[in-house]
Amino acid sequence: MQDRLNEALKAALGVEYADIRLEDKTNTWVNFRGPDLDTIGSARTVGGIVRALYKGGWGYATFNDLADLPKRVSEACQTARLIGTDTTYYTPVEPVVDVVKAKLIKDFRTIPLADKKELMEEYNNIILKHHKKIQTSAIRYNDSFKTIYFANSQGTYIQEEVPDVNLRIAAIGRDNDIVQTAVETTGATDGYQGVEGFHEKARSAAQKAVDLLAAPPVTGGKYTVVTDQILTGVFTHEAFGHLSESDFVYENPRMQEIMVLGKRFGVENLNIIDDGSLPGGLGTHRYDYEGVPTRKNYLIKDGILVGRLHSRETAAKMKEPLTGNARAVHFQHPPIVRMTNTYIEQGTVSFADMIKDIKLGVYALNAIGGQTAMEMFTFSAAYGQMIRDGQVAELVRDVVLTGNVFDTLMHIDQIGNDLKWNPNGPGGCGKYDQYPLRVGFGGPHIRIQDCVVGGQQ
Amino acid sequence: MIVQDIVEKASKVAQGVQAVMLTQETSAVDFDNNRLKSAQSSQRTQIEVKVIVNGKVGTSTTTDPHDIDGVVSRALEAAQFGSQAHFELPESQTLEPVKIFDPALLPLAKPEMIRMGQQMMDMILAYNPEILAGASIYKTISKVEYANSRGAQYSADHTDFNVSAVGQLVRGTDILFAGQNLAQKKRAIDTEEIATQAIEYFRMAENIAPIEPGELPVIFTPQGLSALMLSLTLAVDGKSAYLGASPLRDKLGQQITSSSLTIIDDPFIEYGANTSAFDNEGIPRKVTPIIEKGVLRNFIYDLDTAGRAGVKPTGHGSNRSLTNLVINPGDLPYETMLRSISKGLLVHEFLGLDQGNPINGDFSVNLFLAYKIENGKLVGRVKNAMLAGNAFDALKDITAISQQREWVSMPFFSISGLFPYIQVGKLSVTAK
Repeated sequence: MQDRLNEALKAALGVEYADIRLEDKTNTWVNFRGPDLDTIGSARTVGGIVRALYKGGWGYATFNDLADLPKRVSEACQTARLIGTDTTYYTPVEPVVDVVKAKLIKDFRTIPLADKKELMEEYNNIILKHHKKIQTSAIRYNDSFKTIYFANSQGTYIQEEVPDVNLRIAAIGRDNDIVQTAVETTGATDGYQGVEGFHEKARSAAQKAVDLLAAPPVTGGKYTVVTDQILTGVFTHEAFGHLSESDFVYENPRMQEIMVLGKRFGVENLNIIDDGSLPGGLGTHRYDYEGVPTRKNYLIKDGILVGRLHSRETAAKMKEPLTGNARAVHFQHPPIVRMTNTYIEQGTVSFADMIKDIKLGVYALNAIGGQTAMEMFTFSAAYGQMIRDGQVAELVRDVVLTGNVFDTLMHIDQIGNDLKWNPNGPGGCGKYDQYPLRVGFGGPHIRIQDCVVGGQQ
Repeated sequence: MIVQDIVEKASKVAQGVQAVMLTQETSAVDFDNNRLKSAQSSQRTQIEVKVIVNGKVGTSTTTDPHDIDGVVSRALEAAQFGSQAHFELPESQTLEPVKIFDPALLPLAKPEMIRMGQQMMDMILAYNPEILAGASIYKTISKVEYANSRGAQYSADHTDFNVSAVGQLVRGTDILFAGQNLAQKKRAIDTEEIATQAIEYFRMAENIAPIEPGELPVIFTPQGLSALMLSLTLAVDGKSAYLGASPLRDKLGQQITSSSLTIIDDPFIEYGANTSAFDNEGIPRKVTPIIEKGVLRNFIYDLDTAGRAGVKPTGHGSNRSLTNLVINPGDLPYETMLRSISKGLLVHEFLGLDQGNPINGDFSVNLFLAYKIENGKLVGRVKNAMLAGNAFDALKDITAISQQREWVSMPFFSISGLFPYIQVGKLSVTAK
């Protein structure tokens, strides 16, 4: 493949830079909805993208048909020459030739489809038989094995295998007109064992759906909020992580003023990190999609903004070091600046100490999702528990947190001693039209003062 | 044709086979941060195969036209463990004629697309040079082919055209995004009109208007109506209804919203973004009334779910996606609705729409772009506020529907349609 890609890149004429990325993926899925098997099947996806850079303008060609690669290369180059009229910024990188092999404990490609179906059926039956108020269920199993081939006009060739297996189970409870869903997810980058032994979680999801039917919606307002580790991760990713993606900043002088390095963003002991080299993470790669080695990048250190995430173009334009954060969801898209594995570093406070002096607060747990628009963010807990007089009290539903990231970071006043990573379930991060990109996130329990919780008052 | 080859090959083992193939060529230009950033050419192939062997269903897909044997054998393998088929593949039927191909789009090349984008960007910058402007123009030519083992065989050529203009304005730590986009199947898109509308959203946001928490009347813009339509589209999914997860499951024929509301799913609108004559299961499309004068008329069903539920498939594909949702206009000009409100909100875009509990109708969303109404006038943008309520309750509390309608396209939520402005009596606003 190396020779084939290098041969095709000879067609890259009249441009300053070109690269080519091919992907070959097989995946299988097993889905249940209610008592019935919904779909079972498999897919093979092959395709590629050529990028060409000329005078600051990018030309892309994407394709499923791998038959005529030189033609795709020259198509991308022609397009780049059509639009480039400015200056090229592109930080140089040492060329590398490397092959990254997957290490699987239990290779899901060797597990018969019948076995996968049987295991999912076990989880499904646990949910459906749990309680008479369980209305229905949804089980989604997916595994995929992808090989990525990358070569550029500067001599780099990288071949990387990316395995992924993940599972989402949902229990749907109903009591007259009230419908509540409880979800648990899991997965692994190192094999099928990651989705085995999930029976207890299936039971607890079913019980949670039943419990939520009787739980009142949280009353909207301003509270002291404690987030569990999963939600801390979502918050870190949504509220702060996206702001540190420098494609939002590099051509935007006003944003550069807001995101100036050295500025205080949070309390003394707040540390936020993005680390694409973290072993086993969902966002882990040895190199990013421009052939840049990944690494551990501090974004906030001791409460001060110290770094941001870069592609080769944004790093060059901002004269900052490369971070290895150019990633693409798949071959139909060029890489853009993305997070990898993002987390708040562990602090020193225990959960009990964190809540002991809260008279009235909300303990927000597990995540449905989050969305951000620069300084505004919103993220949803799967459920919450009120905190009353220093104790965790009754269950509440519909807990949505929102705010301004700059205010909210300043309002984090305690950081827990119990860092955890999110389960490697399905889904991922969306940016522009690239969704879902696999990312890891995590953190300890954190406490946020004066946090707005949405809901009817 | 490849789809017939697949049907022939798989029929040696399978009692039922269907194959769908999509081939697509896209050209696109993207402007970002006030400059032409990139352009691309894309070629796409997608093949889906479904087989029925001994009454069980197996599926497989591939992107590789040279992988016909592979995709067939994987589908046959999956069928050994597949779900029971509750359907028969459809026979050949007569299709409605549809307008989905505009030859005027064929000669449109990148230099002209660049010119269109530049013009929209220049207009935004002429209004306010502090804005970082962007634009994108996408043109796609596709062919969809369908064949099955009962002799049904269809093919359709589509053109798609998608134009958007956006901007970002930073003032202090305040960041405002706004924009406008339009997707349809014909060349006749007025780029000037799109830029003008994008500018209007900035103009209306020049002031920031403080807001107190409480219960307020709310006007949803056509795009803002997505907050209510998301729950409705999830609830009319026939599979959710069949499994009992939809709050509307037993409400067919009953009054579920204000009687002023009529919503039709119309796959035949000329050059509509989701117009087509047949779905990916070989079912002819048809007009499906969803709500007529407040009464729930239909759920939407794919072939298999229809079989399980003992009803007919509605021609919305295996994913049960609505096509062009059309809401009937009301009798008031939008301006009159606005004038009638002494204190309220005009809501346009949200953060976190799919969070909360959308199937149940509950929403609690951040107001990403919303405006305060005071004494019948828009007085500025509302910030750091959330809107909470229940979509089904809100649809019962409709107090006015505008005469004007706009095309809305939100692919992320699979919502596309022709929507008016809708006013709701009261919703809860939380402010910081």
